[in-house]
Amino acid sequence: MISFELNGKAVEVDVSLDTPLLWVMRDHLKLKGTKFGCGMGLCGACSMLIDGVSTRTCILPIAAVANRKVTTIEGLGNPQMLSTLQQAWVENSVPQCGYCQSGQLISASALLNSNPNPSDQQIDDAMSGNICRCGTYPNIKKAIKAAAGQQLGVQTFDPSQPREGAEV
Amino acid sequence: MSMNNSNASRRGFLKNSLFAAGGLVVGVPLSACATASNANSDGKNFVPDAFIQITPDNVVHFYMPRSEMGQGTYTGLTTIIAEELDVDPATIQIHHVGAGDEFTNPEAGIQITGGSNSIRVHFDPLRQAAANARAGILNAAAQQMALDVSVLTTNNAQVIAKGQAFNYSEFVTLAAKKDLPTDAKLKSPKDYKYMGKDRPRLDGVSKSTGTAQFGLDVDFPGLQRAVLVRCPVAGGSVASVNDSQALKMPGVKKIVTIYNGVAVVAESYWQAKQAAATLDVTWNKPEKLASFSSDTGKKWFEDALKGEDLEDAHEEGEGEDGLATAHKVVSAQYWAPYLAHSTMEPLNCTVRIENGKCDVWVGCQSPGVAQGLAARITGLSKDDVTVHSTFLGGGFGRRVYSDYVAEATAIARESGLAVQLIWSREDDTRHDYYRPASLADFKVGLDKDGSIESWNVKRAGPNTMPYFLDQLVDGKAPGFMPTGLVDWLSKRGYGLFDGLSVDESSVEGLFEDYDSQHKHVQHVTVDPGLPVGFWRSVGHSFSGYFKESMMDEVAHAVQQDPVAYRLAHTKNNPNLNGALKLVAEKSNWGKNLPSNHFHGVAAHNSFMSSVAQVAQVSVEGNQIKIHKITCVVDCGFVVNPDIVKAQMKSGIIFALTAALYGEITLKDGAVQQSNFHDYAIMRMNETPEIDVHIVQSDAAPTGVGEPGVPPVAAAVANAVFAATGKRLRSLPLKLS
Ligand code: FES
Ligand code: FES
Repeated sequence: MISFELNGKAVEVDVSLDTPLLWVMRDHLKLKGTKFGCGMGLCGACSMLIDGVSTRTCILPIAAVANRKVTTIEGLGNPQMLSTLQQAWVENSVPQCGYCQSGQLISASALLNSNPNPSDQQIDDAMSGNICRCGTYPNIKKAIKAAAGQQLGVQTFDPSQPREGAEV
Repeated sequence: MSMNNSNASRRGFLKNSLFAAGGLVVGVPLSACATASNANSDGKNFVPDAFIQITPDNVVHFYMPRSEMGQGTYTGLTTIIAEELDVDPATIQIHHVGAGDEFTNPEAGIQITGGSNSIRVHFDPLRQAAANARAGILNAAAQQMALDVSVLTTNNAQVIAKGQAFNYSEFVTLAAKKDLPTDAKLKSPKDYKYMGKDRPRLDGVSKSTGTAQFGLDVDFPGLQRAVLVRCPVAGGSVASVNDSQALKMPGVKKIVTIYNGVAVVAESYWQAKQAAATLDVTWNKPEKLASFSSDTGKKWFEDALKGEDLEDAHEEGEGEDGLATAHKVVSAQYWAPYLAHSTMEPLNCTVRIENGKCDVWVGCQSPGVAQGLAARITGLSKDDVTVHSTFLGGGFGRRVYSDYVAEATAIARESGLAVQLIWSREDDTRHDYYRPASLADFKVGLDKDGSIESWNVKRAGPNTMPYFLDQLVDGKAPGFMPTGLVDWLSKRGYGLFDGLSVDESSVEGLFEDYDSQHKHVQHVTVDPGLPVGFWRSVGHSFSGYFKESMMDEVAHAVQQDPVAYRLAHTKNNPNLNGALKLVAEKSNWGKNLPSNHFHGVAAHNSFMSSVAQVAQVSVEGNQIKIHKITCVVDCGFVVNPDIVKAQMKSGIIFALTAALYGEITLKDGAVQQSNFHDYAIMRMNETPEIDVHIVQSDAAPTGVGEPGVPPVAAAVANAVFAATGKRLRSLPLKLS
């Protein structure tokens, strides 16, 4: 039995300890926002924040997150209450097929959390672990810059707690 | 013109209860000028291919006939109806439709999303249908309020009468009982509220919150995950399997052998994958493909070009004889390798067979074929197979094929369980319908002034059509045809197609764009047996590189400026000519470049659009660095400029991946690449600045999703030539 904090709530799961966090999330906890892209830590589609750090979870055994804080895309905001970054994503029409975007948003959140005003080079460095086959990189950059300056750090969001935020 | 109120239950063309909420349902005909009887009189000749519904809660619903895979059709098509219906597009509820003859792509004759044609073929019919619906509502409002229709206007799903606003829904019951106008006046472009403007994508919110549903996200109680182990050589089958260890692994429910491999069905994907790794399978490998390796296989293509089997594909003027009068002949040979699609969402399909019904959940480009294949494999009638469509995590042509639907259905049938088949990235890289490898040989004859007078090209490589036909025959063959006959027909397709005609997509783009008195195109099929298919821009994906590199060679051979030379040879091709002029201007062609930077140009027509690009490149050692791509597109009227620009950038980055890294190689018939470490995809830090300009145009809309791809590799290679004097005649581009 592994316990950890998921999007602000305590959870416990009973799975084989080598099961990657990604598949625990998708198959056991049924949170489908985080995606599977390569299974080898190469594309970033499976990124989640672990104690605030963007981490590839397709190769991260569940045992490694015991007692830690995990944030998935569902923890950044929701359609009724977008985070500043998500709002920038929507306004800049970042997603195309959309499949990589959960991972992109997680990496961008981690970036803005640690560096509210990143340079182009810093954005490249932080985002180059996330592949987008649709080539949305130019718009991702635009959206990160739009969100930077508008926010001081990224708040994580507890779906059970209503809060102030940009409405769609 | 035709227009129809359709009463879905009476019409019977929709087997499900899509329109249960009632109100006004409007079927959109296949073409704006189709003549058809009214749906209320039972609509015998009326075959709609999209539906608009206005429900009593004043919500407008759009049943979208095409798939959304990133290209933006979800937003584009909806914006078109929103404009004429006078409704804010953001308030329209968009529904993915499943499979059904009513959703046929008017040009393809089957239900398919591809060929960059969604906006082009649906533009007029959707506009007219929406305008007619609005006019019908106005007529009903006039009657209901006893006012003259001329005093009524609309604004955002409301009828405005004497300064008061009434929801459309108040009039839809009456409107549904009356014949709709058939040729309501369309808006003039100057009055557009939504079209022609940069507006946010309508799928932006769901795709920025992880709430958009892809095929992989489908789940329900009792659903098992399946992993399939396939023969490393495509087309192989299982000779024997030892699954004793796998059967003991945790979570494993069933292990079944199907036509192309062994599937492990388990409670979770991880369990299925772990167990699959312990299977010991021996294979029957197809001989021809197993004898093909890339290091020696290119000779198959070279020999074919020298051989006797070339067929004529196109001839103008005196064809090859035109070369006889040439003052000078420039020749070169170009190569492009096999390529994988690598959609970001690995292929997957969910199938449940229960009580004589089969449900298929899949994001794909051809739901009709998926339905047909599932029917054939389950032995059910097509009416008992329901396809539930989702968003696609990338398509690029890969999801036109339904091989993974067939696999999932076979696994569900054999195991007796509801299964979600999930491909790994390795499966995806190794079992694709690849962009065909191609070799082309050019001979360009010049007159005494250095102008082109004869254009001769021969192409060797596989054809995509037989592989598509294979699925099509399987998927679309009528139920009464015996299985054996369908098998025979589908296999026979290869021979039939090769024998009867040259597959258009094998030679498209090699010869059309430039003026030349004589043209001759020949083709010879070389097919080792690796499945090939439509890969974003299809034949243009290699012909754009071949033709535009060759054109550059010719310009340099006569010491002319590559832009000026192209302009001089596009007198019969005004859109491409215009795009070239504009790209030269916007890129500041050849001017003010940093000292070690060089420009290369390329231009190409595809999917009825014209695209010209200039690459700005520097070379350090053997390293090619791309600093900027300037792109001009002429694609007629633009519904959403922001999406068109995004698609150009998308196509350019997709093509840069191919230009710099893309290569699938085989060893004894097996694909050697597996994942993103050995089949690299361009990342943000490698992506150049991209500057896109759209030619203002009132012409009918043309393709956008694919036309950004073809010129890219040549623009870069031509810039590398400018920088180094080295002509790179093979992809991916490598200096050595
Ligand atoms: S799925 Fe985890 S990095 Fe690709
Ligand atoms: S939006 Fe399609 S992979 Fe990124």
